[in-house]
Amino acid sequence: MDLSEAAQRISRKFESQKVKIDPAEAEKKLRTLVEDFGVNLTEAEKTVSENLARDHNLASMPAASSEMREIGSLLPGEWATVEGKIVGVAKPASAAISQSGTIADATGAIQFTAWERAKAPQMEEGQWYRIESAVVDEYRGTPKLNFHSGTTITAIEKEVPIMPQMVRISDLRPGVASVKVKMVQEWEARHERILQTGIVGDESGTIKFTIWKEEGMERLEPGMVYNIFYAAVDEYQGRLSITLNGAKCFPDEEAEITVGTGAATVTGAIVNVGPGSGLVKRCPVEGCNRVLSKRNYCPVHEVQDNFRYDIRIKGVLDDGTTAHNILMQKDVVEAVTGLSLDEAVTIAQESPLGLDDVFYKIRDAVMGRYFACSGSDLGDTLLVKECRPLSFDTDRHTELLNQIGGESHAE
Amino acid sequence: MQSESRFTPRYQREPARRVFAAELREAHYHFKDGEDEKSPTYVLLPTGERCNRVLIIGSMTQKEKRGDQNIFYQIRVSDPTGTFFVSASSFQQEAMTQVSKIDPPAFVAVVGKPSVYEAPDGRVFVSVRAESVTVVDKEMRNCWVLDAAESTLKRLETFGTTEDSKLAGEHYATNLDVYRRMAYEALAQITI
Repeated sequence: MDLSEAAQRISRKFESQKVKIDPAEAEKKLRTLVEDFGVNLTEAEKTVSENLARDHNLASMPAASSEMREIGSLLPGEWATVEGKIVGVAKPASAAISQSGTIADATGAIQFTAWERAKAPQMEEGQWYRIESAVVDEYRGTPKLNFHSGTTITAIEKEVPIMPQMVRISDLRPGVASVKVKMVQEWEARHERILQTGIVGDESGTIKFTIWKEEGMERLEPGMVYNIFYAAVDEYQGRLSITLNGAKCFPDEEAEITVGTGAATVTGAIVNVGPGSGLVKRCPVEGCNRVLSKRNYCPVHEVQDNFRYDIRIKGVLDDGTTAHNILMQKDVVEAVTGLSLDEAVTIAQESPLGLDDVFYKIRDAVMGRYFACSGSDLGDTLLVKECRPLSFDTDRHTELLNQIGGESHAE
Repeated sequence: MQSESRFTPRYQREPARRVFAAELREAHYHFKDGEDEKSPTYVLLPTGERCNRVLIIGSMTQKEKRGDQNIFYQIRVSDPTGTFFVSASSFQQEAMTQVSKIDPPAFVAVVGKPSVYEAPDGRVFVSVRAESVTVVDKEMRNCWVLDAAESTLKRLETFGTTEDSKLAGEHYATNLDVYRRMAYEALAQITI
């Protein structure tokens, strides 16, 4: 350990408390204590931290404690020493990271990041380690344990049974969690690094999941129930999603789950009917169902001429304040537009405009019209189960007239 | 398990504001949010809300085809408070095709982007570049008037408290009563 490392550590610690301090200043104070007064570094670090905390009116500074902590109780901003079992490792997402994964004890689990600079030993899955002086911080609302150059990692012999606590989807928080879910739906991957993405759900709701391409990762079977241990739960712009790299997924052939819908209703006008709406051709390969390109090409199964037709709307319902992405599938589209799939197929085959003609008919039937759409929230899209056209609300009309009329008389 | 690079800010579509013609006509302050070439531009409504997209439902009263090489349509869409000037050029191919098939008078729903123009004589006016124009019916027009009145009222209620309305206070001499009366009269004109 040297002084500048300790100074950096102090500065990072204060940063986590939203206080900026000059590491050079801290180092100078440390140097005085260590070199001039012969204080040992650990003690000096503690003293400097405490003094700085007082200077910045911080009531309590998380201590750089060597005291053993329970993983389930770690809070961002803390320094911690923990003993835990590596329950998952994932390929680092960046060259600056030497290893990342999940470490757990009987009280909980946390994601860890070992920075390349920390020169930490590669840890093995299933092995217990004692980790001293790691920093708990927060990345987009998710607590993480960071190993830096001051962290010591020792493999230890310990065999404490760890039972992951299963959490309901609706109770998920950013961090690490274990869930029992059914794979509900697969989406088209929008990124070449994604192996599979879609939604899983339990009785309490649904959540988006992602599996990044990585050696040994397998896809989930649609309709299958899984026990998923130690998945990373991330929050982005208020929405949660889970990443299964680093998690363990065990299919449960026996189980059956009735997936609840995180029901949501939005009202507004349809202001956009996007590309991919109208009549589409789907890949006939079992379990695939991807939308084919105009030339009947499936990104996975290549050219498929025995496609099946489907009809859908990918649009935007807008209430004047927020634009909601909506996805309507066949039954809803047929009900809302009055155009059946069979009729649409006939139009596409007979009209000189082909598929485009169906798109225009559907667009013209819904654009600029008011609807109440309810369904399940798939994260950034509402999967519409029911779409009700809105008509003029006379009560609201009267109410608004009274509201404004009343106000202007009062003035 | 993840790095910064996995997250790009999610694209947030701009909501289509509901604004009466009489108010949009008064708008002249516009600005760009951010330095980026692709940063959105906004027209600031006098009642204090930035607006990058609008939804208008009204009667298309006039349609004019203009231009020799670059054909474009200019249409007038009226709501109970006044008239919107809407254009659809070859840059909005879809909207242009849609407009070409509509004969006034007709109730139309227009989704488009408002922009402020300065005429050579110094007059400033606002026109809406249509992204989409579809034929709707009177009921939808009435729904929209309700919607626009409600949105206007919400803006009036929060005037002076939001960032945008403070900005509006600097650039417009907004008389809240005028807009309140406008909304009232628009509602009063609805006959069922």
